[in-house]
Amino acid sequence: MVNMYRNIGNTVTRVTKALSGYKLQIIITAIFLSLWFIFYIINPPAITNIFTYYSIASVAPFTIIPALSLTLIIIAREIDLSFSSIMALGALVTALTWKALGEASPLGVLLGLLAGLGAGLLNGVLICKLGIPSLIATIGTMFLWRGVVLVVTQGFSIPLGEYRGSPVFNVLVGRIYGIPAHFLWAIGLAIVFWVILNRHKFGAYIYYVGDNRIGAQMVGINVHRVLISLYAIHGVIAAFAGIVDTLEMATFWPTLGDIYMLKSVAAVVVGGTPVTGGVGTIYGTFIGGLILEFIEMGVLTSGVTGFWIRLVHGVVIIIALAAQGMLRRIELARARIIKMLIEESEEK
Amino acid sequence: MNRGYIVEMRNIVKRFGSVVALRGVDFYVQENEVVGLVGDNGAGKSTLVKILFGIYAPDEGEIIVKGIKFRKLNPKLAYELGIVLVHQERILCENHTIWRNVFMGRELTNRLGFLKISEMKKIAYECLSQLGLTRMQVDTPVKYLSGGYMQGVQISRALTFDADLVILDEPTTALSLVETQRVLEYVNKLKDRGKSSIFISHNIYHVYPVADRFVILDRGRVVAEFYKKDLTPEDLAEIMISIARTGSVPEKYQKLNLRLTYGKGSSSRSTL
Repeated sequence: MVNMYRNIGNTVTRVTKALSGYKLQIIITAIFLSLWFIFYIINPPAITNIFTYYSIASVAPFTIIPALSLTLIIIAREIDLSFSSIMALGALVTALTWKALGEASPLGVLLGLLAGLGAGLLNGVLICKLGIPSLIATIGTMFLWRGVVLVVTQGFSIPLGEYRGSPVFNVLVGRIYGIPAHFLWAIGLAIVFWVILNRHKFGAYIYYVGDNRIGAQMVGINVHRVLISLYAIHGVIAAFAGIVDTLEMATFWPTLGDIYMLKSVAAVVVGGTPVTGGVGTIYGTFIGGLILEFIEMGVLTSGVTGFWIRLVHGVVIIIALAAQGMLRRIELARARIIKMLIEESEEK
Repeated sequence: MNRGYIVEMRNIVKRFGSVVALRGVDFYVQENEVVGLVGDNGAGKSTLVKILFGIYAPDEGEIIVKGIKFRKLNPKLAYELGIVLVHQERILCENHTIWRNVFMGRELTNRLGFLKISEMKKIAYECLSQLGLTRMQVDTPVKYLSGGYMQGVQISRALTFDADLVILDEPTTALSLVETQRVLEYVNKLKDRGKSSIFISHNIYHVYPVADRFVILDRGRVVAEFYKKDLTPEDLAEIMISIARTGSVPEKYQKLNLRLTYGKGSSSRSTL
């Protein structure tokens, strides 16, 4: 009996060793591909049309970009709900600066990012220095910054169409062989965040803070500094996403970002990062964001009303969570077998 | 006492509000020595080592590490001074690999902070081998290990950083018999490599086989100190029970008690 387990265990260990650490990525990719296949069966012309992908690439970054830095925050076992308002705040600062200067100056973008940095730092300080739970603190700042945006704009939108074609526009939302520049920005940022998370000391600290906060403190990691840095980074990235969104629409809308809040959180969760902290991947979030956009496209092109989108989103989120829960249970069972095998091999 | 001191703590007082956890404790560790810090629950054992590792700041007293005097330490400084803490509530990130855990908080990086992964894996493997864990894959997530091996991973940190002193705070609590044996083996191996340890436990049968010297704490004071060579485990048990009941060492053991002579003439010595 033990022998049988050992044989199974050895095979399992050998196969999974090569893939271990990439399990979630493999599953999320499989979900993505099966969705693609389903939509292919339903509506082949839409799925084989290159413009479908251009259109996904032009909207997906608004969900994906804030979701990337949000992934780091969720890995550290915190949450940020205020980023949707920070997106609007950053974009508003940029739009107002351009209106004041009369040109699409990079200075406007810089000031917008700084506004995001400030808002992120405020979140970090509220959470770390005043000890307010992040869920509550960021709901507060979510209302605060949305309120600021609404009061300043009095609810009116700011048209920015006259700046189309300026260098800043081209760099941020131009088209390169049809590919939206902001999609390339999303890929670039995903690579940067992947490197930080997996190859840099800061990324290691993020994992440790989420996995065992007291332990992290005991080995001398400055937990507050890690968290405040995370919120600051998230603020900047949210502002960037807001600016990019505004430029793509060529209009600043005071409600900017509202729909992305839950979508970005959903992208992180569908991507396999549990809210319990300590684990999670950037790749998963990226594909998670694509999946959500893909569903939207698939539902619309399959000829039903747009009301179905939310329903299908909900179903996919629940399926993803259920699959992760199941995976964790399998993992636990496997851990027990592996523990036994290690035990035996060390006894020899 | 011809060996050098690694750590000396003088007249340490620690209060938590109105509760006095430590009432003027003198404590020292010499080179290549295993000190068994024993005492009942609430005697102040954990508090004392948490001060030594810099998790708490003492209200009074001073800490001398390798000849340098400190009012208080912090975990980072303690690490730099070569002190490693192995805690009963494990200081491990169980979702992460063994090598990451060995280097947790003290990663080897280049100047820009990027991790030197292959180097860390190599060193982690070597350190685990020194403890006798030769078959362990450093890529295995720690959650796949049993309690004794988890303590092994923590203890191997001491070898990685070339630490001089390992504080083992109840490392054998909640471990099975076999696993306890394993942890005791690791402690012996540390001693073989010239390290010192403080081994905290309220189970003297865990401490006795590995310790060279016992320091007995009771209600925030050091009441007795013995060399292992002077006592059998049964003697130690008798002393411990007597201290728990009456607060004092039985008469027949008093002449072995180092605390009657230790620190004579030192102004910082408290009345014990």
